[in-house]
Amino acid sequence: MADRVVTPYEGTGRRPWRPGEPIARPLQLHDTTVAPAWVDYNGHMSESCYLLVFGDSADAFFRFLGIDEDYRAGGHSLYTVETHLHHRREVAEGEPLSLTLRVLDHDEKRIHVFHEMFHGATGDLLATAEQLLVHVDSRAERSAPFPPEVHERVSAVRRAHEDLPVPEVVGRPMGIRRRPVGS
Amino acid sequence: MAEAGAPFSAYRTTVREEWLDYNGHMNDASYSVALSEANEVLLETLGLSAGYREEHQSSMFTVETHVRYLAECSRGQSLTASTVVVDADPRRLRLHTELLDDQGRPVATGETLYLHVDIGLGRVTELPADRLRAVEDLRAAHAALPRPAHLGLGVGAPRQRPREDTRQGAERG
Repeated sequence: MADRVVTPYEGTGRRPWRPGEPIARPLQLHDTTVAPAWVDYNGHMSESCYLLVFGDSADAFFRFLGIDEDYRAGGHSLYTVETHLHHRREVAEGEPLSLTLRVLDHDEKRIHVFHEMFHGATGDLLATAEQLLVHVDSRAERSAPFPPEVHERVSAVRRAHEDLPVPEVVGRPMGIRRRPVGS
Repeated sequence: MAEAGAPFSAYRTTVREEWLDYNGHMNDASYSVALSEANEVLLETLGLSAGYREEHQSSMFTVETHVRYLAECSRGQSLTASTVVVDADPRRLRLHTELLDDQGRPVATGETLYLHVDIGLGRVTELPADRLRAVEDLRAAHAALPRPAHLGLGVGAPRQRPREDTRQGAERG
């Protein structure tokens, strides 16, 4: 039987929070290497593994906000409700990946984030992911406001990221855009 | 092949152990595994799957995916898919796929944009005539199907109460 999906941060708890300490712009919480299990028959990382890697970076971010195993055992969690991925370049087994994350917006229970995946050596942009996260009461199966300590962290990250340029793909709808033709 | 006027719905699966995460629910990335498996079945019927890659050194590359997660899934649960060819041209294919539970309720939706890439040349090229005909036939068969209200909207668009909004019902391919 195959293993369940595990992130490299499972069991590592939350990250320490020191109010007032500078927050990286954007956050850089996850680096990894393309694993043999992630590549397809062409030797390139398969489509859904990009999302797996973004998920690992998101888990590191959750821990940065104080959302870890204990927090989830307490009945609350952060769920992804929407993901918009752009694939830019292929990447092969064994190559290094470096992830960044910025908070674009938030309110009392939602966070809008933007991830970028770079090649760890060349710096090439490989993929981006825009995600909407919602804080939930997992027993009531309903969205729920952040507790004050999480809200404080989310707000601090948002403030730190406020004047970063908004990536051009954010909020852009998908479609086949056609050049005007004479027909 | 799909009959005219019905979405493509050949895909069937059950939620696998390796798709679950720590809380026993299907992981984000696993929804996209199921969605891309479902789309691969459609690409196969269009003659654009693995065999095509071998024969033509070309392939459909995913450049963009927009997934909306609507319900949690547990191990062993059966899932089906319902896919509509939203748009296509000689180089591009846009699909919308609903992943459905055994009651026909959507657990996720995925919108995917593919480009036809010549792997040898390393660039986007036009589909060969026979494949383009197959794509166009399926697109024509799907042209009158209702389009979901969230189609082509960005992340964070307000959710519609009735699942299929009639505002865009007039949109036709």
